[in-house]
Amino acid sequence: MPTIRLNLLNCIWAIMMKDGLCEFRTRYAVSALFMFALISLASISMSIGAASLPADLTAALLWVLLFFCAMAGLSRVFVQEEESGTIIALQLYGSGQAVLFGKLLFNIIMLLALTMLIIPLFILFLNVDIYHWSIFIVVLILGDIGIAAASTITAAMVAKTQGKNALFTVLTFPILLPQFLSSISATAKILMNVKPDISDILFMAAYNVVLMIASSIVFDYLWYD
Amino acid sequence: MKLILLLWIMGVIYAVFYIVPPAEGLGELVRIAFFHIPVAWVSVLAFLLSAGWSVQYLRTRDIQYDWKSSAAASLGLLFCLLATISGAVFAKLTWGAYWNWDPRQTSIFILLLIYGAYLVLRSSIQEEKERARISAVYALLSFLTVPFLVFIIPRFYFSLHPEPVINSAGKLEMDTIMIYVLLAAVGACTALFWQCFNYMVLNKQKSA
Repeated sequence: MPTIRLNLLNCIWAIMMKDGLCEFRTRYAVSALFMFALISLASISMSIGAASLPADLTAALLWVLLFFCAMAGLSRVFVQEEESGTIIALQLYGSGQAVLFGKLLFNIIMLLALTMLIIPLFILFLNVDIYHWSIFIVVLILGDIGIAAASTITAAMVAKTQGKNALFTVLTFPILLPQFLSSISATAKILMNVKPDISDILFMAAYNVVLMIASSIVFDYLWYD
Repeated sequence: MKLILLLWIMGVIYAVFYIVPPAEGLGELVRIAFFHIPVAWVSVLAFLLSAGWSVQYLRTRDIQYDWKSSAAASLGLLFCLLATISGAVFAKLTWGAYWNWDPRQTSIFILLLIYGAYLVLRSSIQEEKERARISAVYALLSFLTVPFLVFIIPRFYFSLHPEPVINSAGKLEMDTIMIYVLLAAVGACTALFWQCFNYMVLNKQKSA
């Protein structure tokens, strides 16, 4: 047993680094996720051909793409622990809050990396003009944090169930919906060369905070039997 | 008790078809509302009750609350389906289309999604305690999104749905007979829900 007691921030960092290291060794989730993103993007681009899409439809496509990419990979943080049987060790060593926020941080970083890959390709394939880059980036970051926050807590739920992957999408969508709708509308405004209201951005940020606080409150019930 | 309920429902049905006058603009179609409004009310009530019993379960770990939460959610899904279908028929007859993502339609659809997700989650966990714990957490989390949706949805979709019966001015804009019949119908529907609910919980207690 380690005799040094780490504080919460160090614990969160340690959990995140552990997940990062495991991921770096196998590179399973990252490569699967990136290939999934590439294929869904290519399928969209091929199926619409040279037709130009209206801005609101493009925004909706972008977020549907990001959502399903997240659904393909983000449940892994808990599902993999359950499948390899390491979850009991983690329950012994890590406090619930550290595990939740460590995994959340890891998911946020994964999703942001994925977004950084998707966005240039999306602009390239679909011939999109982005008018307000700085606001666009803020919207993307807030939307990604929202997707990661909603899917980390549902990943902890589906880890114990049968049929994990299908269930993961079903459970995450209703929880994510307010954030999802507001990211689509903010992105559509940006693509139409209209600056989104500050209230739209604030709503997204507030929803992220509420989602994280709520997951932090209920997570202990999931983590400790 | 069952007999009283049966008579009550028969009375309400009689009143809806023979006593309520045809409404201005809607004509005979207004009679659907006496089915639609009570059913929609019960589907929201069941959702509240289910979330409430989930909190109780997490606090006390008494499996009885889990049964109650699950029974309320299953009945809620049924009433929610009925509300969606009757609403869609009403929409077809008055607005000309079964479905157009009106804010009310969107919110009832999300309620359907949440009920569906909750019940699928329940059916996919074998162990009883684990199932109770995880589904209670999900019921709470999904309950959290409701106030946000109430705020966000009307901003994106334009509504044709009439104001709720008691509108923002707090004034009742209905015929007095209609109000009484509607209240009786809401009461009957809630009582029917409660009867089925008790029956389901009792069944569960017997088999346990």
